[in-house]
Formats: sequence, structure tokens, C-alpha cells
Amino acid sequence: MELNGQLALTVLMGLFLVAVAAWLARVENWRSYTPLGSGGGGYGQESGYVSQEKPSGFIRWLTTVDHKDIGMLYGAFGVTAFLVGGAMVMLMRAELTVPEMTLISNQFYNSLMTSHGITMLFLFGTPIIAAFSNYFIPLVIGADDMAFPRINAIAFWLLPPAALLIWAGFFPVPDVIPAQTSWTMYTPLSAGVGQGNQANAGVDLMLLGLHLSGISATMGAINFIVTIFTERAEEVTWANLDIFSWTILTQSGLILFSFPLLGSALLMLLADRNLGTTFFAVDGGGPMLWQHLFWFFGHPEVYILVLPPMGLVSYILPRFSGRRLFGFKFVVYSTLAIGVLSFGVWAHHMFATGMDPRLRASFMAVSMAIAIPSAVKTFNWITTMWNGSIRLTAPMLFCIGFVSNFIVGGVTGVFLASIPVDLVLHDTYYVVGHFHYIVMGAIAFAGFAGLYYWYPIYTGRMYQRSLAKWHFWLWMIGSNVTFFAMILLGYGGMPRRYATYLPQFTDLHQVASIGAFIMTLGALIFLWNFVVSWYEGPVVRDGDPWDLKEDSLYTTEWEWFDRKLKTAVADGGEALPGGEESDAAEN
Amino acid sequence: MDENPGLSEQYRMASPWPLFVALGLPIAEIGILFDIPALSIGGLILFCGSVAGMVQEAGYARTPWRALAACAVLLFALGGLFFYADAQFGAEGIRFVARGWAIVVAGGVLLFGSVVGSLLVDEPEPV
Ligand code: HEM
Ligand SMILES: [Cu+2]
Repeated sequence: MELNGQLALTVLMGLFLVAVAAWLARVENWRSYTPLGSGGGGYGQESGYVSQEKPSGFIRWLTTVDHKDIGMLYGAFGVTAFLVGGAMVMLMRAELTVPEMTLISNQFYNSLMTSHGITMLFLFGTPIIAAFSNYFIPLVIGADDMAFPRINAIAFWLLPPAALLIWAGFFPVPDVIPAQTSWTMYTPLSAGVGQGNQANAGVDLMLLGLHLSGISATMGAINFIVTIFTERAEEVTWANLDIFSWTILTQSGLILFSFPLLGSALLMLLADRNLGTTFFAVDGGGPMLWQHLFWFFGHPEVYILVLPPMGLVSYILPRFSGRRLFGFKFVVYSTLAIGVLSFGVWAHHMFATGMDPRLRASFMAVSMAIAIPSAVKTFNWITTMWNGSIRLTAPMLFCIGFVSNFIVGGVTGVFLASIPVDLVLHDTYYVVGHFHYIVMGAIAFAGFAGLYYWYPIYTGRMYQRSLAKWHFWLWMIGSNVTFFAMILLGYGGMPRRYATYLPQFTDLHQVASIGAFIMTLGALIFLWNFVVSWYEGPVVRDGDPWDLKEDSLYTTEWEWFDRKLKTAVADGGEALPGGEESDAAEN
Repeated sequence: MDENPGLSEQYRMASPWPLFVALGLPIAEIGILFDIPALSIGGLILFCGSVAGMVQEAGYARTPWRALAACAVLLFALGGLFFYADAQFGAEGIRFVARGWAIVVAGGVLLFGSVVGSLLVDEPEPV
């Protein structure tokens, strides 16, 4: 049986390789024999532009190395992961409406919680940022493409396998169960020792998937650093580089120094689990080693996730305030300061581990210091809006929501950075409230600000504005209801990461769940609006749909869009009936 | 690049290789971690083969054969590392040697491909 399995697998693998080789050979064929402009033939006939640069139809998306296409792929992937992670957490919130275990088992709750965290951080957060940076950075810095277009494509294509591996435990594979380690994967639990069930292969697969996503992020980061350094158009200097590119550059630097470390730590953990090493064993390096390595990556990771959204807000918010970003230089400096400081605060996640009090105090000092550049940015956003001519479009609303939620998230963070407070609140819902104000209230809000702001560019159409506002308000109210309830739960002493709880916490948990359902409604409205407007929204014929020229806040990516609209008309631009072809062709 | 029209020759903005580079890596990782030779060997071949194809397509080399040989050398070294680990630590129940062999076999296949390719396939004519 064992041998048969191996044999079958070998045959399958062989067939797969032959199929790949055959497919590649076919690719050779078209490139050598297809006359220019007939684009592979078949169903996907698109505009001349696409067929000259890329094959058409489905194959185009599998083989593209165009930064705009890759940005679209990242975006589709990120939004999908967001829906998956959201569905996971809604099951959990449903379970938490009552104190006892009812709907799902405790094990399943723990599995969902682990997967929700990892999905949102690594499969939604990082990719949705990459969607914007891939699409827009080359446009705003005047580059033809990314410096390494093929590496760019590899970085994206590593993500779908990574997602499959991370979710592998949920698929009906015999003997494979989902990881229940939480996203922090603390040893010894994650080393699979002891009586638990975490020695299961599902945990190994999850770790491998995480490792792959790290490789992907690192490749992307290298690409952005090189692109921003070497591919800028002549007129784009360091002095007038836009704020979004600055934040992506800083983020890429952080990724370069932290993700390889996570990758190594994951390999060490995998070796502990499978190859008998003792990096994190009690008689070896000790379980605390994991916490240090993980948080040395983990804290920079939170800034990896928040800096580019800060850049998006700094980029978009001034355009609807009718003026330039206030104190541009200081926003850049504070970005760089956060980038440097973020490597010196990791032990604030470990205050309660019994570390040396002198060390602990120094980490407290740096953690408080990092709040300063964050506050500088906040004040700059507020001053930008101050007395401006504010237009409350959907992207602007999301930017304002970002600022508001970031203040709550940041202030609760400063409280947590204070050792005596942290010793009380550590591992309670207060912490969950703190970081959700930032990851959902700020990062996701900025992501949606970007999705709405550039909607005309990547779809050629406009979304339904009233639905977008419904989306915003449902989310603004929902997220504050949910996450403020969590902060109160934390004050009450409700520990985090439990499927069941004492009856005294019932009310607040129910409030939190109601908020989550409100957000779900908002997400459904978004999805409807996003998809339907893509097919049926009013076509944008103006290269300046946000009237940025009036305030001379027009930027290069819209110029590019305008040029594209004009050339499409010059081409005859056969107004394609369905609309979706024109979307595809637009890239 | 000029000498050898590739997908990216006609379609400047497309390349078939990245997808397979990204597919080969996880397959190889799973194979090596769980000691499943079919996946280790197949994944490594897919990964290295695609890298070699891409090196050629991007114009860093005229043919993929040398890149294949270089990959083979790296894989031999990696396999050697596994043999060394086994000799040093020889932990019971851990099949370092089997994993090492899988890697070496993959390297062997690539080397074979490299030799055959450079002997039998005509050099693309310079244009
Ligand atoms: C104003 C700056 C910030 C400070 C001073 C701060 C401080 C802290 C502290 C001390 C903790 C540990 C709490 C505990 O476990 O007892 C914490 C947890 C956390 N923070 Fe922040 N934070 C800040 C900003 C952020 C940002 C910008 C993000 C996200 C992008 C973030 C995400 C997180 C996460 C995810 C955790 C929980 C990690 C876990 O245990 O699962 N924080 N923060
Ligand atoms: Cu932190």
C-alpha cells in the first residue's frame, strides 16, 4: 500500500512534468508561428494592444509580467483572502454570542482563529498593499515597468500555493487537521511536543505556506527597492518622490530585514518538528528563543502592514481637502523614523514573560518613542484637512475613518507599551481591540479608500456612490462597536483566544458580534457594488474623474489614464458591448 | 534574447516561466520535508528547469544548459549536506539519507538534461 502510493505519486508527478513540458512547447509554437495581432485566436479576442503585448484570454493572466496585470492579480487574490478570512471570523463571532460551546467545537474555534489571523495578515494585508504598489508605483515614478518583471510574477504566483498550504488542514484530506497554534505559533505548542495534536502534518503545511508567503514578500520588496532607486523618470527626484513610494520603499526595507528572519525561524521550527533538532526545545535553545525571533519579525511586520496604508492616506486625503499634504517632509521623516524604531520594540510583546526589568524598561521607552512619529503623521493629516475644502467622497470618508480609528488604536497601543498597564491587560481582549482598531479600522480602511479612489483607472467605470457610502458607514459604526466592546471586555478581564467564557461577559460579546454582523453587511454591499459596477457602472470618459485639476492636485497616474482614454478613442476603440472585455483590454 | 525568439519576444509582457518557478518550489519543499521522493525530485526539476528557461528568456544566457548544470551542482551540494547531517547526527528514525538521495537524483537528471541538451540541440543561430 505504502509502495503503491509512492508509485502512483511518481507516475502522477511524471505525467505532470510531461504536461508542463508539452504546454511550454505549445507556447513556443504560438510565439513562433502566430502572426502578429491575431493573439492566439479563439474566444478571447481582445483589442490590438493586448494581443501585441500579451497572449489573450486566460493564458494572458497566467503568463503576464506586466506590473498592472500583476497588480490586478494581487488585488483579486487579496480581496478573495479577505472574504475567506472574514467568513472564518464570522463563524467565530457567531459562536461567541453565547458563553458555552454550541455551534462549533473548541478545536475548530482555535483552528479558525489561527487561520483568520494568518489569512488576514499574510494573504490579505500584504497582497492588497502589493496590488496598489505594483499597479501604481511604476506609473507615478514614470517607470516602464518594475525592475524585474519576471521576479514580480514569481512573487505573485507563490501566493496561491501558499494559501492552499495555509488552509490545507481545512480540506478533507485524511489525517490532516488545521493548525491551532494561533498566528504567533508559540513553542512548545507549535513544536508539536507533549500531549496535544499539534504534531499533525497540517501544522507543517501551514508553516510551509507561511514560509512561501515570506519568500514572495521578500522578492517583492527587493523588486520595489531596485525599481524606486533605479527606474525613476528623470523628473522624479528624491526631493519630489511621492509619499506612497516613500512608504513602499521603507516598507520594503523592513521586509528585507524581517521576513528572511521569519523564514529562518520557520525552517528551524520545521526542523524541530520533523528532523529532531532542538532549537526551541526545553533542553536546547529554549521556547523563549521562538518568542524573540518571532517578535523581532512580528513587530516590524505590523509596521510593514501599516506604513503603506499610511502612505495611501497621505496620498489620497489631500486630494479631497483641496490642498497639498501638510508638512510633507515631516511625514517622510516620520516614516523613516518608524522604520528604524520598529526594530527596537519587539519585547513589548513579552513584558509578561519574566524578562530582566532593566531590559523591559528600555523596550518600554522605545515603544513610547515610536508613538511620536505616528502622532506626527496624525497631526499632519488633521492639519491637511483643517480649513480645507473637504469633499466627502467614499475614498475620503475611508481616509477620515482611517485617521479616527488609528488614533484609538495608537492610543491603546501607548497604554499597552507601559509595563504596569500591560501586565494587567496582556492577553486580554484589550490587546485584540487595540490591534483590530489598527489592522481593520485603519489598514483595511485605507485599502478600501484605494480601491474606491482608483476604481475608474482599473475598471474604466465608476462605482455607485451611495452604496459606497453605505459601505463606509456600516464599517465605521460596525468596527467601532465591535472593537470598542473588545477594549471594554479587556478591562473586565476577558482573556483572548477562548471559544467559551464566563457568563458575565455575555453582553459585551454579543455587542461585539452585532458589530461584526454590521460589518458583514457592509462587506456584502461592497462586493455587490464592486462587481456590478465593474460590468454596468457608468463608463468614465474623463481623465480627471475627481476634478483634481481644479486644485492643481492632478497626478501622473491620472495623466496616464487620460492618455489611455484618448488613444483608445483614436484607435476607433470599438465600444465593446459587454463591457468586461474593455476592462480586460484596459490594462 | 534576440537570437532566440521567446514568448516574450512576440508578447513583450508575458512569460510562461514564473508560474512554474512558483509551482516547483512548494512541491519540492513538501517533498523534502515529508520525505516523498516523487515530489522532491519532480519539484526540483520543475523549479530548476523553469529558472534555467527564464535565465535564457531574459537574455542572461544564450541557452539554458549551463544554468541547468549550475543548478545540478547546487543540488549535489545540498544533497551532500543531508548526507553530512546524517553522518554527524544520525538521529534515529530520521531519514536524512533518503532525502539527500532524492535531491542528488534531481541534480543528476538536470545534469543529464544539460549534457544532452548541449550535445544534441542545435545552438540557436545568432541573428
Ligand atoms: C503607536 C504605536 C504602537 C504601540 C506603542 C503599540 C504597542 C503594543 C503593545 C505593547 C502590544 C502588546 C500587548 C500585549 O500583548 O500585551 C501590542 C500588540 C499588538 N499590536 Fe501594537 N502598538 C502600536 C501600533 C501598532 C500598529 C500600527 C499595529 C498594526 C499595524 C499594531 C499591531 C499589534 C498587534 C497585531 C498586536 C498583538 C500581537 C499579538 O499578540 O497577537 N500595533 N501593541
Ligand atoms: Cu509590537
